Amino acid sequence: MKYCDKCHVDVLTNQKYCPLCHQVLQGEHDDTWIEPYPKFIPLRREILPLTKKIILFITIVAIVTLLVINLTVWEGKLWSLIPIGSILYVFMIVRYGVLSRQNIAFKLALLTTVLILLLNMIDQQFTEDGYKGWAINYVTPLALLSCNVAISAIIWIRRIDFRDYIFYLLAIMVFSLVPIILCLFNIITVAWPSIAALGLAIFILLIIVFFFPKSIKDEIKKRFHL
Amino acid sequence: MEHIRIANDWFKLDNAAKIFPAISTKKETNTFRVRIDLIETVDIDLLQQAINLILERYPMFKVRLKSGFFWNYLDYNERPFVILPLPQRVCGSLSPKEHNGYLFQIYYWNKSIILEMFHSLADGSGAFALIKSLLYQYMLLKGLKISPDNMILTRDSLPTVEEYEDSNLTYYDPHNHKHVPEEKAFLIKGTPISDGNIGLISATISTKDMMDLARTYQASVTEYLTALMLHTIYITQIQYREHLKQNQKPVKIFVPVNLRKHFPSHSLRNFTNFVKSGMVMNRSDISFEEILIETKKQFAHGLQKSELIRKMSENVSFEKNVLLRATPYFLKKFVLKIGYNMMGLLLNTLSFSNLGKIDFPESMQPHIDKISVGVYSGHYNTVNFGVVTYKDKFSMTFTRSIVETTIEREFFRHFTAKGIHMTLESNFVEEYR
Repeated sequence: MKYCDKCHVDVLTNQKYCPLCHQVLQGEHDDTWIEPYPKFIPLRREILPLTKKIILFITIVAIVTLLVINLTVWEGKLWSLIPIGSILYVFMIVRYGVLSRQNIAFKLALLTTVLILLLNMIDQQFTEDGYKGWAINYVTPLALLSCNVAISAIIWIRRIDFRDYIFYLLAIMVFSLVPIILCLFNIITVAWPSIAALGLAIFILLIIVFFFPKSIKDEIKKRFHL
Repeated sequence: MEHIRIANDWFKLDNAAKIFPAISTKKETNTFRVRIDLIETVDIDLLQQAINLILERYPMFKVRLKSGFFWNYLDYNERPFVILPLPQRVCGSLSPKEHNGYLFQIYYWNKSIILEMFHSLADGSGAFALIKSLLYQYMLLKGLKISPDNMILTRDSLPTVEEYEDSNLTYYDPHNHKHVPEEKAFLIKGTPISDGNIGLISATISTKDMMDLARTYQASVTEYLTALMLHTIYITQIQYREHLKQNQKPVKIFVPVNLRKHFPSHSLRNFTNFVKSGMVMNRSDISFEEILIETKKQFAHGLQKSELIRKMSENVSFEKNVLLRATPYFLKKFVLKIGYNMMGLLLNTLSFSNLGKIDFPESMQPHIDKISVGVYSGHYNTVNFGVVTYKDKFSMTFTRSIVETTIEREFFRHFTAKGIHMTLESNFVEEYR
């Protein structure tokens, strides 16, 4: 124990200076004493923030370069959207797929949705007439179908408490309704992928409703309580 | 071990807790800590066993924060709870993604057990209930002969609805919720500590000395310390500068009030309100006695039942607002953030939490040396103050996010000038650069 003769207080420490007035403390150094608060160890220079910055930097440089080239040699089409979209998608995979600590069902649902939007954009803008519609006819329903299979498989294989995942599974199921609706409006011309996606969604939904009815009800109650 | 699962394993955030997830950041962490110093060195393995055993008794704490579409909620957390050695950072952020999702953390250091808790989970009373149970279980595992004496929630009892209810919703009055606008408060400025660290200085004096001192002024300990704090801020920050424009705002001390003392509630979640004591310090000859009279008046007014109910109902009516409720959470977050920055954060100079007297069963007392509490300090409330009494040890803890210790020095010298013996502890944040 040390003493500050300016503040007239005992200080329980081996440090040299008074925490109040920063004058030198009186008293002997006690080797057996353990400080009541741990020593400050400065944070290691973290690698992750730097990596993030580098990735972001390269992404932005690439996008700007592509746009500039596209505009200087203008040929009537904004072709740079394809590589820019792909770069952004890779960026999203790294940022939300690899570096993020969100649960895997969320990652899958998010990345699938963005991929569908991206491919549809490419299809609409750049596919020649006669071949148009591959994204909406085949990719959209089949991507939703695979996402459904993937999330269900993860829940099944990892045997985790599926309460975290069920919400995203439900979201993808709701999305699976979209192709069938588009089908009814004749926007989708090839019906079988949409029907397959819907069929699988209904199949999984039935499993949940029959075997885990409470969890689905609880999850909706929790997520949507006012 | 038998697994107590109550039917309801998820909880809505209580009224006070709803705001914190939206406004908390790495710098404004909204956490607080309770520190218990034991006589003997802590046995880490036994402490880990004890917390594993006791957590099932506290379903309202064995949770993690999850986001819903309209509101966040607390959901059962199946992941293990792991105790950690005490870090230097005081009241650091308890991010929902760290600590296995738990919103509180138990640390150990030499002879001390430290509990840090995010304010969304509970207030000081809830935290003390948990740490008391933990200590009891720990001492049982150590083989000490102790008895709970009806002061401690043991593993044998079952959690009740009263413990996890939101008492704000039980005792509010829908007809008494008038909003009283408030002025912005004077803020203590200083040099921020690097890396967002928090400095902590804790002083212990004799409880008897403190009581005697308050008694000579015919005030309660809280009133006395609040007035003393106002006076200290006045002489260190304002006196002889009172004519300047930036010093015209009132100095306001935010004093949380434990509503369990005013209403018959057993809730372990948030059930506190506040009293504010403040003064515009625009003269150069304000005396301590003058401040104390004003403080007593403001406490008497603020502690009236109708006033407490009004403040509680104001918060509840805000939560019950149909428009706010129906807004999706990602938008609501901004509303809460802006609202709090405008109305909450800037209205206090300093917060002063008096946790009161902490009792332990007779059989446990010989193993406990002292207790202290601390609150986080952030960008605006740069200095905060926490007080707790245990037997004859009256502990006062300052936490600060600025380098300067003028307020601490003047405040403590006030006691030493009266010949009161004082022992200091500090985390010496200024020594490590």
